[in-house]
Amino acid sequence: MISAVQDYEAIKTAVETAANEHGEPHWFVERRLAAIDAMQDLALPEMKRYDFHRWPLMDNMELNFRRSDKSLADGLPKAKNQIRFVQVGQTTVAVDLPDELADQGVILTDIFSAFREHPRLTEKYFMEKVTNYKENKLTAYQQAFLNAGVFLYVPKGVEIKRPIEAYLIQDSTVKQPMVSHVLIIAEENSQFSFIQHLNTKGDEANAAHCMVEVLSRANSHVHFSSVDELGEHTYSFLHRRANLSRNARFDWAIGIVNDQNTLGDITSELIGEGAHSESKVIAVTTGKQSNGINNRVVNRGKHTTANISQRGVLLEKSELIFNGIGNIIHGASGANAEQENRVLMMSDHAHGDANPILLIDEDDVIAGHAASVGQVDQNQLYYLMSRGIDKELAQRLVIRGFLGPVLEEIPLPEVRQEMIDVIERKLEDGQHFN
Amino acid sequence: MATLEVKDLHVSIKEEKETREILKGVNLTMNTGEIHAIMGPNGTGKSTLSQTIMGNGAYHVTQGDVLLNGESILGMPVDERARKGLFLAMQYPAEIQGVTNAEFLRAAINARRPEDDQISVMAFLKELDKNLSLLDMSEQMTERYLNEGFSGGEKKRNEILQLLMIKPSFALLDEIDSGLDIDALQVVSKGVNSLRGDNFGSLIITHYQRLLNYIVPDVVHVMMDGRIVKSGDADLAKKLEKEGYAGLRDELGLKVSLVDDNR
Ligand SMILES: Nc1ncnc2c1ncn2[C@@H]1O[C@H](COP(=O)(O)OP(=O)(O)OP(=O)(O)O)[C@@H](O)[C@H]1O
Ligand SMILES: [Mg+2]
Repeated sequence: MISAVQDYEAIKTAVETAANEHGEPHWFVERRLAAIDAMQDLALPEMKRYDFHRWPLMDNMELNFRRSDKSLADGLPKAKNQIRFVQVGQTTVAVDLPDELADQGVILTDIFSAFREHPRLTEKYFMEKVTNYKENKLTAYQQAFLNAGVFLYVPKGVEIKRPIEAYLIQDSTVKQPMVSHVLIIAEENSQFSFIQHLNTKGDEANAAHCMVEVLSRANSHVHFSSVDELGEHTYSFLHRRANLSRNARFDWAIGIVNDQNTLGDITSELIGEGAHSESKVIAVTTGKQSNGINNRVVNRGKHTTANISQRGVLLEKSELIFNGIGNIIHGASGANAEQENRVLMMSDHAHGDANPILLIDEDDVIAGHAASVGQVDQNQLYYLMSRGIDKELAQRLVIRGFLGPVLEEIPLPEVRQEMIDVIERKLEDGQHFN
Repeated sequence: MATLEVKDLHVSIKEEKETREILKGVNLTMNTGEIHAIMGPNGTGKSTLSQTIMGNGAYHVTQGDVLLNGESILGMPVDERARKGLFLAMQYPAEIQGVTNAEFLRAAINARRPEDDQISVMAFLKELDKNLSLLDMSEQMTERYLNEGFSGGEKKRNEILQLLMIKPSFALLDEIDSGLDIDALQVVSKGVNSLRGDNFGSLIITHYQRLLNYIVPDVVHVMMDGRIVKSGDADLAKKLEKEGYAGLRDELGLKVSLVDDNR
């Protein structure tokens, strides 16, 4: 937390110097400074029934740029024709974009190169159209101390068959927060999917601020998945938001499998008429970790459809709160918003909650919700065990089934398998302590 | 040769207020190489017997014992009993989303093997193909999620597929014939018969003599009101089919009410 005695002017001077040395365009340096000013008065975001005020998310108020050891990215799966972006800390290790896509105007590059090379796009869209630094203290921090990230631009009508993968690896071999930004612009009628992998290398205690901003223009079709696997010394704030224009389709499929406390804030803003979003999240918590996840859909346009599906599994002494927030704005007639929030308690010492929160200001809508906090189905467990499968594996198989509806959403089979493996590993660790 | 013994077994279930005794002293001994059939009116405890042998926690043994090769299994969890050689084809198999049939079968086979000697993919697929064709099942069924959306008959067939893959010493088959069409009945019987031999025994619970035309039992037991009231050879089933349970009850002078009496 920022203490009152801290000298904001000194911080601004240091940030300005670092940003200029880093060769950042003037407009962005100015935004950093404006954000630092704003931070002083802004409050932390609100999260119903969840307290994260004492987390060390903003202990570090410095801006440093340093090279990371590229070998920290060794061993990543590399397939033929893979479209991918790899970044370790602030160092971009690989950008694999087929020429034919570049020729069609697709841009895939690190965020700072994008500021310099594509100012027309980035100045207009970076935290201007989808998110804004003035929302709260954390968004202001994001803009002020941004130190990593990726920019993806897909022009009108371009369809990309193979998912685009971004590996964003936190370098915790040094003491430095990860303040990373994924900015995606999907122009009209474009179509693609994007898979993000978040990992940590190293054992330093650092915060991670990972923001995703997506602008989905009319009739675009975008699928975003993420395998979040941040390390046990990383407190994280995962802020993800998509704005959907007319008849756009945008889906989230997110697996939050971090090893430390996580604040998740996922929003789909359905602005244009006929927009549609499916927002699917799974989370697994172990040890003493605590995850608070807001999954919000806002129906603004007429005939918009927004569904939330969240599934969580709790082991040991962990805590997991799912808030499913369905907000239908006055005038969004014909809107449709369904949500389902389910958590599975694998331990008597865990604390889980699934809260549907419906804020509806329009009559002509269809909205519904289902929520449950439950145990593993004994009948299923018995059936598996009656075939000789031991209790722990049987539990994991039943859990996999429980998480299935979200797992199925991940477009690449190998990434789906990666997610299953990560979850399985985490469950195994958690089971050993139960 | 393996032996399964049920000795003076009393089993209760907990209901809302009180506990109710379902099995009231069941005695039964079977060896591998033998097929036993159990018949009896609805609600007499046939499924209870099979579930108790398997180790379903809903059933509480209040007296007696179940021994596998002379060793009591009552203290063992379900999975251990299964690995010791017991198999229960359930009257109502569970559905499990997200886990494919094939993956489940492999896990079940590997559960019986040491960690450093898991079955190879090739060997597994070979065995699977063989059994699929024996049961007239399509390969597609193994890529579907375990029992999810399976028809009643498909579930029964899938129980037998598991049986063939796992090859237990003793299979308890609870109404494996219910809901099967005539062709499926023959296929399922063929599957069970293919295991017949010195290393396999089975306890078949059925309401219909017809199944026993396909899988001819060595011994037939009749269960009423929580006890085995009569045992005989395959002809006993035929006699029952003709005369019904009321006839047998009266012949034995039992005071048991049957559902039919209430008509
Ligand atoms: N899990 C359970 N919970 C409550 N009651 C049970 C349970 N299992 C069995 N019972 C009761 O025990 C009695 C015996 O049931 P069981 O299922 O063993 O009969 P069955 O002989 O298999 O009958 P059917 O031929 O209809 O399958 C019945 O009255 C049944 O309602
Ligand atoms: Mg029964």
